[in-house]
Parts: sequence; C-alpha cells; structure tokens
Amino acid sequence: MDFNNPKIPEGINVTDEHPLKSLLYLVLGVVGVTVVALLILFYSIGYMARWVPFEKEVEWAQSIEASLADEVKGDVLQDWLFPGAAKTPKPNSQDLIRIEKITGYLQNLSDQLSMAQGLPTSMKVTVHYIDQPVINAFATIGGHIFIYQGLIDAVTSENGLSMVLAHEIAHVKNRHPIVAVGRSLGLGAVLSLIAGVGSDNFSSSLAGHINLLTSLAFSREQETQSDIDAYNSLLTYYGHGLGATELFSVLVESSQGSRLPELLNSHPLSENRIEQLNALGAAIDVNCAKASLGCILTPMPAFIQFSNAK
Amino acid sequence: MYDLLILLLLLVLGYFFGQMAEKKHFRSIIKREEEYRQILTFAKRFPLTNEGDQKAALVGGNVVISVDYFKRFVATLRSLVGGRVTTYESLLERARREAILRMKADARQKGLNTIVNVKLETASITKGSKNQVGAVEVYAYGTGLSSSDDLLCQNVEANDSERSDGK
Repeated sequence: MDFNNPKIPEGINVTDEHPLKSLLYLVLGVVGVTVVALLILFYSIGYMARWVPFEKEVEWAQSIEASLADEVKGDVLQDWLFPGAAKTPKPNSQDLIRIEKITGYLQNLSDQLSMAQGLPTSMKVTVHYIDQPVINAFATIGGHIFIYQGLIDAVTSENGLSMVLAHEIAHVKNRHPIVAVGRSLGLGAVLSLIAGVGSDNFSSSLAGHINLLTSLAFSREQETQSDIDAYNSLLTYYGHGLGATELFSVLVESSQGSRLPELLNSHPLSENRIEQLNALGAAIDVNCAKASLGCILTPMPAFIQFSNAK
Repeated sequence: MYDLLILLLLLVLGYFFGQMAEKKHFRSIIKREEEYRQILTFAKRFPLTNEGDQKAALVGGNVVISVDYFKRFVATLRSLVGGRVTTYESLLERARREAILRMKADARQKGLNTIVNVKLETASITKGSKNQVGAVEVYAYGTGLSSSDDLLCQNVEANDSERSDGK
C-alpha cells in the first residue's frame, strides 16, 4: 500500500476575492439600504405626523413655552439664533406695557386671520412678540408663532404683516411644524442607532429633538403651500390681496449680493415668491373691483411702529 | 467627524499591515511546507504498519493569529447581510497550515517522520469581549512515528536525501 501526501494546490480553501472589493460591495450595500430605509422613514413620518392630535402637540410645546417664559424670551431665542451676540438690556415696565399691547394686537389680528383661513376651532394660534431688530418670524409646534420687531419694521402696512402672520398660521394649519419635528426625531433616532449611541444617551437625544425650535426645517413645497394659503386668507379678510408681496420686496432688496441658489435654500427665493403671488393676482389685484371698501392698504397702529430695539 | 477619521485611519492601517503580514506569512508557509514534505501526516488512527521497531511520541504545534482591524470591519459588515466571510477564510487557512508546520517541526526534532491521528483544535481568543480585535488559535496534534523509510512511498528525491543523511 502506498502512502503519500500529495501537494495541495494553493487557494482551494480561500475564496479568490480581493478584500477591498468585498469591502466596497458591503459598504455600498449597507449604505444603500440605510439610505433607502431613512428615506422611507422620512416620508412615512412626514405623512403620519399630521394625524398627531393637536392637543398632544400643545402638550409637547409646553416645554418650549416654559423655556421661553416672560422677559427672557428674547434672550433665549437670541442665544439660540445668534450665539455670542450682545444681550439686549432687560425691558423696563414701560416696555413691558408696550410689549403686552403689541402682543395683544398681534394675537387679535392672528385670531381674525385664523378665522379667515378656516383654522379648525380645535386649533389655537398663540403669538409671541420678540423685541429684537431681526427680520424673522416662524411657527413651531403647538400653534406657537414668533414674530420679531425687525419684521414689523420691514413691512409698511397691516396687510403686509397679515401676510406674514397668515403664512405662519398656514404652517400651523397644515401641521408643518409637527411633520418637521417628527422627521428630525425619526432621523435622529435612526442616526443615533447607527452611530451606536448607548441607551442612556438615546432617550436624552430624543428629548433634545423635541425641544428643537423648528424655524428652518420646512421644505420649499411647504413654504409655497403656506404662501398660497396666506394669500387666500388675505383675500377673505381684506377683500383684496394688496400688500402680500411687501415683505418679500424688502427681502429682495436687503439680500442683493450674496445669496444661496434656490436649491440650497430652505425657503423659495423671494423673487419667485413674489412672482407666484403676482400670478395669483397680487400685483394688479383682480379682486379690487369686487371689494366693497376698495383697494386700500390698512395702516398699522402707531404704537407698533417704534421699537426701542432699533 | 473625528470618529470617522479615526475609523478610516484604522482601516487603512489594518489593511496595509494586515495584507503585508498575510502575504509574508503565506510565502513563508509555502517555503517551509516544501522543507517538511518528507514528514507525512495522516488522519488515520493507527500506524501505517505494525512491522519493525517504531518510536512513538505525541507531537503538536500551536499558533495564535490576530485579526486586523480591516478584516474585522469587513466581517462585521458581512454579518449584517450573510455570506462567505472571505477575509477570515485566509486567516484560518494561515493558522491551520502554520499549526501543522509547527507540529511537523516538533516531529522532526523528536526524530519522527510520520504523524498519524492528526487532529486540529480551534479556539477563538477574546471571544465574547466587545470592542476588541479578536485572535484565533489553532492547535494541531497527532502521534508521531518513526516508520522505516522503505514503507513510505515518498518522492524519490526526498528518499534519496534521507538515505544519504542516514549513512
């Protein structure tokens, strides 16, 4: 009987595949699946979030309200939006009266615009006035709308201000803030799962997302939709749409020069928004003839015009 | 961001040093396997023959080889989707062949030229501990025998060289 150990050919026990090739395939596959899963999650949350009861939204928003209580309201937001900026002095009692008066006026105007827009009675808009020279206004969960003195100074008539308020009310009506919070929550959850965040940090990172003020998180489509809704509520409230483009004209003037292309911007370009509103009839208002009072811009009350923040 | 950079750095380091070490190891294995070809290994449990006066001794060879970061990363990704873990295949191949070679070296040192009842044991070191690059241990052992040369039908050259050594 013969005994021998034949020479075993090389490579029969090892798959002949370059390690970098398998790495490439695996990374592409895993990243691809993750991206698809994220997209599905992103859109399904965006779709489902609108069925969150508004009362729940109000409940969640209470944490934001608490953190923005009383006179520190401006400073907290200021810190959040412009970290490191100089603090404005604490308002004196005279200012407080003025702030209260302006807030009351804005709240009253918003309530009427909400009615004009057909905001369901179960939903309530709360306006917060911030005495800061910033041209900004935004809506967040729980029907809270923030409006800055800078923006009030930028528009010339009540119609222009109403357009902005109605725009933010439209965000609330269309449930855009809760959709945005839901999306950032979902994405945050998945990303922290992927990053392997421990269970301790996980819940706190979720809580961080709830507290997030969602001023910039709306899509351009949502902005466009809100513009149209806002314009229609102007028509209902004033009988005409004059003044709808006031703010955007100011924004076009102030933003000449350095500007992001529309694709990179969270909001549509102001020019395009003006164009769209003009297409709806804002320029040569077709409703002027029908309006019983004629096409007159409503002036703003005198007390709102002067800001000590200037 | 820094986490990602560190991960990339570890991957690159793991890939270059791991591949370098693996290629070098395979070259050495192939060279030494040729050296130890005269020592025959069998899985059968009994001596090839009962004739003659044979020495017998337990021979064994042990090796531990570490996984590199790159191999582990690819294997972790592979564990998500399933399939052949090709980066570990070459690792285990190296460990098995190295262990058998060390066993053969042990046999040669003891003056034995045949090993029967060869068995391999595999153990994973650092098994179960998280965030640690693992290592694999392979232990090859068998019964070394000194069979008389004419029983073994080796290649002629090997026989020749051994006969001349003996005289």
